[in-house]
Amino acid sequence: MSIFLRTFISGLNLGSIYALIALGYSMVYGIAKMLNFAHGDIIMIGAYTGIVAVMNLHLPPVVALIVSVIVCAGLGMLIETLAYKPLRQAPSLSVLITAIGVSYFLQNLALLIFGSEQKAYPQMSGLGSFTILDVKVDGITVMTLAVTAVIMIGLTLFINGTRMGKAMRAVSEDRGAAELMGISVNKTILITFAIGSGLAAIASAFYGMTYVYIKPTTGSMPGIKAFTAAVFGGIGSLPGAMLGGILLGLIEQFAKAYISTQWSDAIVFAVLILVLIVRPTGLLGKKSTEKV
Amino acid sequence: MKKVLALMLAAVMALGLCACGSGSDEKANEIKIGGIGPLTGQYANYGLSVQHGAEIAIKEINEAGGMNGMQIVFSMQDSQGDPEAAVSAYGKLIDWGMNASIGTVLSGEMASVVNASANDNMFMISASASADKCLEGSSNAFRICFYDSYQGIAAANYVAENLPGKKVAVFYQSDLDYSAGLYESFAAECKVKGIEIVDVQSFLSTDTDYTAQINALVDSQAEIIFLPIYAAEASVFLTQAKNGTASAVFAEGTYFFGADGLDGILTKVSNASEANNVLMLTPFAGESSSDAKVSGFVKKYKEAYGAAPDQFAADGYDAIYAIKAAVEKAGYTKAADIKGEGLSAALVQVSLEGVTGDMKWQANGNTDKSAMAIIYKDGNGTVFGE
Repeated sequence: MSIFLRTFISGLNLGSIYALIALGYSMVYGIAKMLNFAHGDIIMIGAYTGIVAVMNLHLPPVVALIVSVIVCAGLGMLIETLAYKPLRQAPSLSVLITAIGVSYFLQNLALLIFGSEQKAYPQMSGLGSFTILDVKVDGITVMTLAVTAVIMIGLTLFINGTRMGKAMRAVSEDRGAAELMGISVNKTILITFAIGSGLAAIASAFYGMTYVYIKPTTGSMPGIKAFTAAVFGGIGSLPGAMLGGILLGLIEQFAKAYISTQWSDAIVFAVLILVLIVRPTGLLGKKSTEKV
Repeated sequence: MKKVLALMLAAVMALGLCACGSGSDEKANEIKIGGIGPLTGQYANYGLSVQHGAEIAIKEINEAGGMNGMQIVFSMQDSQGDPEAAVSAYGKLIDWGMNASIGTVLSGEMASVVNASANDNMFMISASASADKCLEGSSNAFRICFYDSYQGIAAANYVAENLPGKKVAVFYQSDLDYSAGLYESFAAECKVKGIEIVDVQSFLSTDTDYTAQINALVDSQAEIIFLPIYAAEASVFLTQAKNGTASAVFAEGTYFFGADGLDGILTKVSNASEANNVLMLTPFAGESSSDAKVSGFVKKYKEAYGAAPDQFAADGYDAIYAIKAAVEKAGYTKAADIKGEGLSAALVQVSLEGVTGDMKWQANGNTDKSAMAIIYKDGNGTVFGE
């Protein structure tokens, strides 16, 4: 029983990080209709910003987080303006390749600035831990889950309830028609990137507090896993991203604990394939009907 | 026709290069020693350590009159850890007129240049290329460091002798040759010595979360966790094991036992206390050593580079002295006379008291030397059991 509970807690812990990253991924995809493969690397930049802000500039943790959000949001807008905007009319494959290019650019930039040695993220939560049935639960795990849920609800309200959100939904549905209705597509997508990248900065803080070590390639694997989580839950759907992230974390940890540590990734992706065969749009994805 | 022309041009160029090489050799009686390794990029710390260690040895030898009267000129080429870049760096050194080499820093680089060095009859003694098979292909290739399968055996012997009767578990990286090889030879020797391995857990280079494995290792109630992995991954493991967010905690006094891959663990962990109870199998005790030769090297190294030398630096230092021993045994007094096979034949006859222990070489390039273990506590390493 204690093994089961412990695996469940560590699965929730991992899953909540995936979910937090997947929210940003899914939102950008849902509105801009493009896979921003650089999302994981923006998380890495956010983590380095946090390290510099706390260690070198001696800012208090909350201020450091705000600085990190601002830097990442700015970076997201810069990337969108310089790399993606000129390709608005290009085939989606070109945009995809550009996104991969941006990802490698950011990794190598970090390599140049911060070097290849891993750096430790400042441990600033001060939340401590508590025990349920002999199993240690860290405060960070609970906080990550809570923050992910709050962001998910907040984003859903924002997209469904505000003028800007309405514009985003319109752009998502039909870019051409939205333009004709007087919505600035470029501005809407720019704001989407700013929000998505800001979320990446928040995710970076929780990633850093949980997994401590940051290096230039830190973003790539969690980025891929979070993308998988977003597809799992239904890409474009925010509750889907959260559900997909948590399920992915749980499946991964249970596969490691009960089946095999070497097969855990294979099992995760096998489950993904099964889900996509049964529900091609993911667990909570919208069924889209093509009109002819 | 074009092909013939190209061949002729190539021949002319090759001749030109040869001429340059021999021309500069005759000016002064200098022995040119080359080395290849990552001086920038992800593995730069290893390459720079070997380079710095070698430079200390060269300075000492040159000040004392050189190798049989020949002053040493040293060139270390950057490979960034890329085996293909190592090949072109090797070509560059041959063009420069290299007489003997301290080989490459990483095993993969060694494997990629070893055949070329056999064709050139070039003597190579690598400081740190430890993969079992990376010297195959040249009878003139040697090494200073342990070879991987020997380390696994030495580790098992160490446990049998110094920590008898304790339950052992293993945590290794299954997609890394170094780690998997070490684990296999360790497990085989444990069977011979009757050491019980109660649990084996593995991870992949892409994993970031080790909590499932840590939980299983804690449940196995092992008293020694064998960690045949590199320092970066080991630091992640130790941090998650000691301050992890969702993992069980090891019993007080559990040892974390690793090999040369753990070198530099103190610079990797976020907090030095996380490396408490880490045991590292090594031939080089560094600052903890009471040997005068070792402490002299440590002192000079610190003065020159501002940091204590690690095992790679010590290996680089010994590699230069191994070349010196071979040159003197073979009786070479002119750099132009030096042949790879001559140095190899001489090296297997000498024994060298280096800073990494007393060494004698076998014809296959390996050296068996005794190992000790360093234990870390609050940022300090001491020789275990002393």
